[in-house]
Amino acid sequence: MSTNPFPPGRLWLLAAGYGAWCSALVLIYALHALGCAFAWPTGALRLGLGVTLLVHLAVIGWLWRDCAKFSPGEAFGPTGSFLYWVVVWTLITAFVATVLTLGPTLVLKTCM
Amino acid sequence: MSAAAGRPAQGGRALRLHRELAAIWATGPGLQRLASVNHSVIGLRIMVTAFVFFLIAGLLGMLTRIQLATPHAAFMDPETYNQVFTLHGSVMLFLFVIPMLEGMAVYLTPKILGARDFAFPRLTAFSYWCYLFGATIVTGSLLFGVAPDGGWFMYTPLSSNTYTPGVNADIWLLGVTFVEISALSFAIEIVVSILKMRAPGMSLDRMPIFGWYVLVTALMMVVAFPPLILASILLEVERAFGLPFYDPTRGGDALLWQHLFWLFGHPDVYIIFLPMAGALSTMIPVFAGRALVGYRAIVVAIIALAFLSFGIWVHHMFAVGIPHLALAFFSAGSAIVAVPTVLQMFAWLATLAQGRPRWSVPMLYIFGFFFVFVLGGLTGVMLAIVPFDWQVHDTYFVVAHLHYVAGGAFAFPFLAALYYWLPHITGRTAVQRFSVPAFWLIFIGFNLTFLVMHLIGLLGMPRRIFTYAGYEGWTALNLAASIGSFIMTIGFGLLVIDLLVQLRYGRRVRRDPWKAATLEWAMPVPPAPYNFASVPHFDSVDDRVAPSTLAPVLARGEGYLGFTRNGWQETLGVHMTSGAPDQLIVLPRPTYLPLWTALITAAVVLSFLFKLYLLALGLGLVVVGLFVWGAQSAGLSSDYGPLPVGRGVSVPPHTEVAGTPPWWALVFALIADGTLFTSLVFGTLYLWIAAPHWPPAVSPDTHLALALGSVLALVIGAAGGRGSVRSLASDRAPQAWIALAALALVGAMAAVVVLIGGIAPHPREHALGATTAALLGFVAVHAGIGLAFLVSNVLRIASGRVSPKRIVDLRLTRLWLDYTAVTGAVAITLVLTLPALVAMLGARP
Repeated sequence: MSTNPFPPGRLWLLAAGYGAWCSALVLIYALHALGCAFAWPTGALRLGLGVTLLVHLAVIGWLWRDCAKFSPGEAFGPTGSFLYWVVVWTLITAFVATVLTLGPTLVLKTCM
Repeated sequence: MSAAAGRPAQGGRALRLHRELAAIWATGPGLQRLASVNHSVIGLRIMVTAFVFFLIAGLLGMLTRIQLATPHAAFMDPETYNQVFTLHGSVMLFLFVIPMLEGMAVYLTPKILGARDFAFPRLTAFSYWCYLFGATIVTGSLLFGVAPDGGWFMYTPLSSNTYTPGVNADIWLLGVTFVEISALSFAIEIVVSILKMRAPGMSLDRMPIFGWYVLVTALMMVVAFPPLILASILLEVERAFGLPFYDPTRGGDALLWQHLFWLFGHPDVYIIFLPMAGALSTMIPVFAGRALVGYRAIVVAIIALAFLSFGIWVHHMFAVGIPHLALAFFSAGSAIVAVPTVLQMFAWLATLAQGRPRWSVPMLYIFGFFFVFVLGGLTGVMLAIVPFDWQVHDTYFVVAHLHYVAGGAFAFPFLAALYYWLPHITGRTAVQRFSVPAFWLIFIGFNLTFLVMHLIGLLGMPRRIFTYAGYEGWTALNLAASIGSFIMTIGFGLLVIDLLVQLRYGRRVRRDPWKAATLEWAMPVPPAPYNFASVPHFDSVDDRVAPSTLAPVLARGEGYLGFTRNGWQETLGVHMTSGAPDQLIVLPRPTYLPLWTALITAAVVLSFLFKLYLLALGLGLVVVGLFVWGAQSAGLSSDYGPLPVGRGVSVPPHTEVAGTPPWWALVFALIADGTLFTSLVFGTLYLWIAAPHWPPAVSPDTHLALALGSVLALVIGAAGGRGSVRSLASDRAPQAWIALAALALVGAMAAVVVLIGGIAPHPREHALGATTAALLGFVAVHAGIGLAFLVSNVLRIASGRVSPKRIVDLRLTRLWLDYTAVTGAVAITLVLTLPALVAMLGARP
C-alpha cells in the first residue's frame, strides 16, 4: 500500500484522452450538421471543423505533456506509477485516434 | 498474499467460525429462498434463468432455419415468422447474453476481488426479479401470438402505431425497458462494489485483470443503456398518447430512433465482449502456466475500446443518407476499433507462446474463440468500409457477421468459462467423454451455419424474408446452413447432458482443480454463503495468489473479520485506489421486499400494456413507497465509532464515513440519468435541425415568469437540502430546512405541470410540443423523486437512523436536489430558447 494513496479524484484522468476524442467527434459531427443545414460557406465550415479538431488535439497534447512530466512514483508509489503510465498511454493513443478518425475533416468535401 | 502471523492449524476453530458465519449469512430453506439476497445465490439464479432463455432463443433460431432450409416452405406463415425471428434476436441479446454476463459478474466478482458480497444485496435481488418478470412477459407473449414482430432493433416507423397497431411492439418496449433498468441497477452495483469492496491491499495496480474488465464494462453499461431506455420510453409514449417523436408527418423523425438505439447498440457489442475477454485473460494464464503478458497495455486497450465503441454508432446507419464527410470519420473510427481488440489477442497469444499450455475442455473453447472471433472481426473491418457496407447492407452477410462476432465475443469464451468455473459452483469436474464431442459438434455446426451465410448474403439474399423462390442460387447454401444449425443444436444438447451428468457423476473436488492464481479458488467449492471465513489481505505483486495455501489460513479466521459480531453480515470497504481498509460495511439480511417490489413493478408494466394508465400510475407510486419503506431498515441505529476488524485495524462503520457505497451508487446513478437527459437534449436538437415539417405552423410560446419561477423553486429546494445537511452536522434539527425544500419542490412541480398544460404547439400536434413536454416532464419527475428523498429523510430521522455522525441520507438528498436544480435549469432554458431556435430555421436555404 502506498503511504500517500493516489487521490480517487484524479481517476478522471484515465478517461481524459478518449473523453476528448469523444468530445471532438460529437462537436465536429454537430458543427458539420449545422453548417450543412444552414448552408454555411465551405471555407468557414472547414475552418470551424479544423479549429475544433486542433483545439482538441491541443488539449490532449497538453494533458500528455503535463502527465509525462509528473513523477507519480515519488508522490503515490507503485499505484500512482501504474495509473500514470495508463493515463499517458491513453492520451497518446487518443491523440493518434483523433488524428486518424477526424483528420478527413480537413480535406474532404464538406456537404456532399 | 498473507494473513496474520502463522499459527498451528486449528480445524476446530475453522469449523466453529464456519458455523457461526453460516448461521448469519445462509439463506433459509423452502420458501425462504425467495428472500435470498446473497450474491452467490442470485448470481447462480441469473445464470440458470439466462440459460433457459438461451435454450428458448436457440429453439426459435432453429425454427427460422427450418423455415429457410428450402424454398416456398410453409412451415410458418409470415406473421409467425416475424415474431419468431424478432424474439430469437431479442431474447438472445437482451434476455440471455447481457443477463448471463451480469450473472457471471454477480457470482464471481466479489470472490475474485476478495469480498464477502456485493454492496447492495437487496438491489441485486430486486434486479434479478425484475429481469425474470420482464423476460417472462416478453417471451410469454409468443404463446398468445402477440410477440414483438418488428425485428430485434424495433426500427420506427415499422414499430409505430400506424404499422404495428397491436400490442406486439408495446411488449418489446415495456418488457425490454424493464429488463434494461434491472441491468442498469446491476451495473451501478458492480461499479461501486469493485471500486469500494476489494480485499484490503488490493490497489488498482494489483487488481486482477478480470476486475478491470468488469469495471469498465459496468461503466459502459451505465452510459450505454440510458439512450435505449429513453428511446423506448419516447416510442411507448408516442404509441400510447400520440406524441410524435418519430412521426415525420408531425415533425418527428424515424432516424432519431436509430441514433438512440445504436448509441446503445454498438457499445453493447463490447459490453458483451469485454467480460468474456476478462474471463479469457483469467483462464489463459492458468492453462499457459504463466502470468498474463501485457497487463498494463491491456488496461489501456480496455479503456480505449470502451470509448471508441461509443463513437462509432453511426456505422450501423451508413445506408440512411449520412453526408460523406461524416461517413469518413465514422468509417475510420470503425476500423481503428480493431486495434485495441487485436492488442488483447496478441497478449493472449504471447501468454500462450511463453508458457506451457495444457489442453483441457476450456482450452478447446478458447481455441474456438480465436478462430471464430478473428473471422467475425475481419468481416467487421470489411463492413466498416462504406462502399462494401452499402453492397451488403441488410443481407445475410450482416447476419453472418453478427453471429460470428456474437459467437466469438460471447458464446465460445462463455462456454470456456462455464467449464472453467462450473467446478466452483458444483464442486465437481466435467465428464470429458461428453464435453469434447459436444465442443466439436458446436464448432463444426456453428461454422457450417454461419460461414455459408456470408455467401448467401453476397448472393443478395435479404435478411428477414420468410421464404424465397428457389431460382436465386440460395437453395443449396440455405440447406447447408440449416444442416449446420442442426449439428450445432445436437452439440448443445450434448453439452446440456454433460452438465447434468457432471452435477450427478462428476468427480468431486475440494478446491482449485485448475491450479489457478485468483482468490475465488481460495475457498471450498461449492462456496459458503459468506465466501471467505476471513477477508484476505492482498499483497501479491503480480496478480497471482496461491489458493491452496491461502484457503486454510483464511478458513481459520486469520485474515480480516475472522469473527462474528452482533449477528451482522460484515465485509470491508476500502480506499478506492490504494485498497486500504476505510470502513466496515454491514449488509442487510434476507428479505422478501425485493420480490414484492419487483412484483408490483411488473404490475406497473402490465397495467401500461393493457392501457390501464391510472392503475399504472397508482402502482408506480406504491413502488416508490416501497423503496422509501425499504430504506427505513437500512444502515445502523447507533453511532459506533471505529470498530476492530482484525490484524490490528479499526475502521468506522459505513454509516459514519463520507465515501460510503450508497454515495457512490447515487453518483453513478446520476451519471446514468445525466446520459438519459443528454440524450433527450440531443433528441430535441436533432429534430430541430434534421426532421421534416419544421418549423411548425404554430409558433412556440412559453410562460416566461412561470418558467423562471420553477427554476427558482428548484434552486430553493437545493438550498433547503444543503441547509438540512449543515444543520444536522452542527447538531441542530434539520426539519425546517427539509420542509422548505419540500415546499419548493411542490411549487416547482405545480409550475411545470401548468407549463406542460399550456405548451404550444400541442404535444400531440407537433414534435416541438412533444419534446417540450418531455423536457418539462423530466423536471417534474425528478422533483417528485426529490420529494420521496425528503420523506425518507424525515422518517429516518424520526426512527433514529440519522444522527450528526450518520448523515449519509441527507447528503444523498442534497446531491439529488443539486442535480435536479441543474438539469431543471438546463431543460427549462432549452424550452425558453426553442422559439429563437425555431425562428432561426427561417434562415435555412
